[in-house]
Amino acid sequence: MALDDARLDAWAGEVHAVLGENGAGKTTLLSALAGLVHPDQGTLRIDGREVRLTTPRRAWHEGIGMVHQHFALVDAMTVLDNLALGRRRGGGFRLDRPGLAREARELGLRVGLDVPLDAPVGSLGVGERQRVEILKVLLRDPSVLVLDEPTAVLAPAEVDGLLELIRRLALEGRAVLLVAHKLDEVLAVAHRVTVLRRGRTVLEAPREEVDEGILARAMVGAEPEPLARRPGPPSDRPPVVRLRGVRVGQRLRGVDLEVRAGEIVGIAGVEGNGQRELARVLAGRRDPHEGSVHGPDDPAFIPQDRRREGLVEGFSLTENLALGLHDDPTWRRGPWLRWSALRARTADVMDTFGIRAQGPRARASSLSGGNQQRLVVARELQGRPRLIVAENPTRGLDVAGAAFVHRTLLDRVAGDDPAAVVLLSTDLDEVLALADRVLVVVRGRLHPVPPERQTREGVGALMLSGGGVGP
Amino acid sequence: MSGRALPLVSALAALALTLALAAAALALGGYPPGEAFGALLRGALGSPQAVVSITLVRTVPLLLTGLAVALAFRAGVWNIGAEGQLYAGAVAAVWVGLHAGALPGWLAVPAVLTASVTAGAAWAAVPALMKLRLGVGEVITTLLLNFVAIDLAAWLVHGPLQEPRGVFPQTESIAEAARLPLLIPDSRLHAGFAVAVVLAAVLALLLRYSRVGFSVRAVGASPPAARSAGRMPVGRVVAGAFLVSGALAGLAGGVEVAGVTYALYENLSPGHGYTAIAVALLAGLHPVGVVGTAVLFGVLEGGASAMQRSAGVPAAWVDGIQALVILSVLVVDRVARRILVARGGRG
Repeated sequence: MALDDARLDAWAGEVHAVLGENGAGKTTLLSALAGLVHPDQGTLRIDGREVRLTTPRRAWHEGIGMVHQHFALVDAMTVLDNLALGRRRGGGFRLDRPGLAREARELGLRVGLDVPLDAPVGSLGVGERQRVEILKVLLRDPSVLVLDEPTAVLAPAEVDGLLELIRRLALEGRAVLLVAHKLDEVLAVAHRVTVLRRGRTVLEAPREEVDEGILARAMVGAEPEPLARRPGPPSDRPPVVRLRGVRVGQRLRGVDLEVRAGEIVGIAGVEGNGQRELARVLAGRRDPHEGSVHGPDDPAFIPQDRRREGLVEGFSLTENLALGLHDDPTWRRGPWLRWSALRARTADVMDTFGIRAQGPRARASSLSGGNQQRLVVARELQGRPRLIVAENPTRGLDVAGAAFVHRTLLDRVAGDDPAAVVLLSTDLDEVLALADRVLVVVRGRLHPVPPERQTREGVGALMLSGGGVGP
Repeated sequence: MSGRALPLVSALAALALTLALAAAALALGGYPPGEAFGALLRGALGSPQAVVSITLVRTVPLLLTGLAVALAFRAGVWNIGAEGQLYAGAVAAVWVGLHAGALPGWLAVPAVLTASVTAGAAWAAVPALMKLRLGVGEVITTLLLNFVAIDLAAWLVHGPLQEPRGVFPQTESIAEAARLPLLIPDSRLHAGFAVAVVLAAVLALLLRYSRVGFSVRAVGASPPAARSAGRMPVGRVVAGAFLVSGALAGLAGGVEVAGVTYALYENLSPGHGYTAIAVALLAGLHPVGVVGTAVLFGVLEGGASAMQRSAGVPAAWVDGIQALVILSVLVVDRVARRILVARGGRG
């Protein structure tokens, strides 16, 4: 029952934004368009003609191209080969690589999508991979382009570029369907907005008739509290974690960092500049090649890819919670884990963290993205860790889900016995809203941002310039 | 190979599909399917003696190797080498069994079984090391080591371990003290059956409820999540599951030698270690399910010669039926998955 009486109309030449909380059915609705999910009821018309999209290939033949939230790329192959995979047109057995490369380069130039064609996809950051995905779909010249949360992984400068691109693609006469979780982006680019709530279309209106307040109320039924935090005075507590001269391959070099209890240190940067490695070193998930790390034994880690690293999707909620507890003697009796106690604990945690699921025995794969993230956060924070490392913790979450994560992090740095929080995020607004102090990571090096430059423009410039020092 | 947690319904559906395909194939081959199946079932289950001395005896090596494969697959280790590990276990068991006359009686059988377990684990240690240290895929290495083990056993029974008269390509019989006691007097069913069933129960409990079993399942389901969210030593868990899997397959060899053949010869195993893959997959990789599917395959293999005798269907047809089981499991698994996906989309 992911969808119940949902409606959606897309017009050629228009950008149509689809909004909704996690679990509202956005992805399901779009998957129906892509031929991945088959509706039990209802109709789909293209140019007035009723069609049934039984397979992704049928959807493609009807001119619908979808860029998924989770990428469908082959890591071991080059970008060009991945583009060739998405293609399947003419040429018989021969693969016209030079022709395809030319076409890709021209298209990339025209729409402003820059990707290294010869690099293996596995070596690219998430942002770059997404550009490859978009380019792959655009090469098929679809008349309906579906983008599922495309801005979630991009840096601010890239987001503007993408929105511009989306506008241009609509001007070319395509219908563009855009799922986004950031209201300002939607308002900047959309001609028409549809809001889904619990599988139903609750609002459909032209852009001119809505504002952020109306959309937010339609999505959650009430206006969420705005996030507000004023950076406190510098913490005088002892450092919880201390890095000295840390190097990881070529990805991270000469990193010194101290984080004290009671502060949130924000680390901003464009995807692929070493955040991934930094997060794992801080969280004790990997050792650096050089340098020293002094930190607590059991730091909490909220990884950005919850479906791969944060959870085991085939496991129940209880088992996923147990991933964080199996080491703790209180949850063991001899060689056995105390499953009934763990189930009771899971039921408690579901209450406390507002995880919507059928019960502790439900599989994690049955949860929406937001509820999955709540589960990860619940597991990682349950032991009152002294250090919390959060890597793009609100990626792909809706307003309510993101607010929940933010509130939880803020809670943990308040009070008498606060934790230290490191927030690594490509979302500049998030970093600026939460962090007491901000650093940018550029090409594997950390640069502190002076307080007077802690603005969107100031940090954004540092992210791109290399900390003002030059390479 | 994605036979994870195949529910009972899917297993039964796979079985029904197999029967239908096998019946059609038999009919095409000119054999009346009813008669052939009837002869097979009578041969395997027609009398208490047939059940105990033929079918259950045949079940034991399938059960042990089936557990070996199920455990490995649950840990994400594609151990195709149960056959080779079985032979390694058999060789070690024979070697100890031949020299066991000097041992006190109560020690001989444990010594033989321990030797087979150790040899099986050692045979699995080679691909395990190659996987963990060098990143060499275990599908290839375990498969290739099967041929090495099979040929090693063949060479031993033609050479160093051949019976003293040098007539038959087999070893001498192992010492009386080293033989497994019978489970039921005046039958051929030996204590290895009880050992295997108990091991299945222990393995099921460990996988489901214990901490180490939880680690195995987590590592098998998602190594990155096991490492990052579970803080588990993924390499050590993989190594452990690999070695225990080899040990179980080695025990199958030891139990065959100490309970059935009392000697080593060429073709000691008619491919138990490969059939084990079908046994494990049909059981959805669940140890208790493996007991059921191992008995089922024991029926098929136990009844094969009766089918040949009284219905004139060559026993080799049973191999084909076993292959059909694997194909049916894979097909049914896929179809079931597709139905699930179509029913419940994600939001």
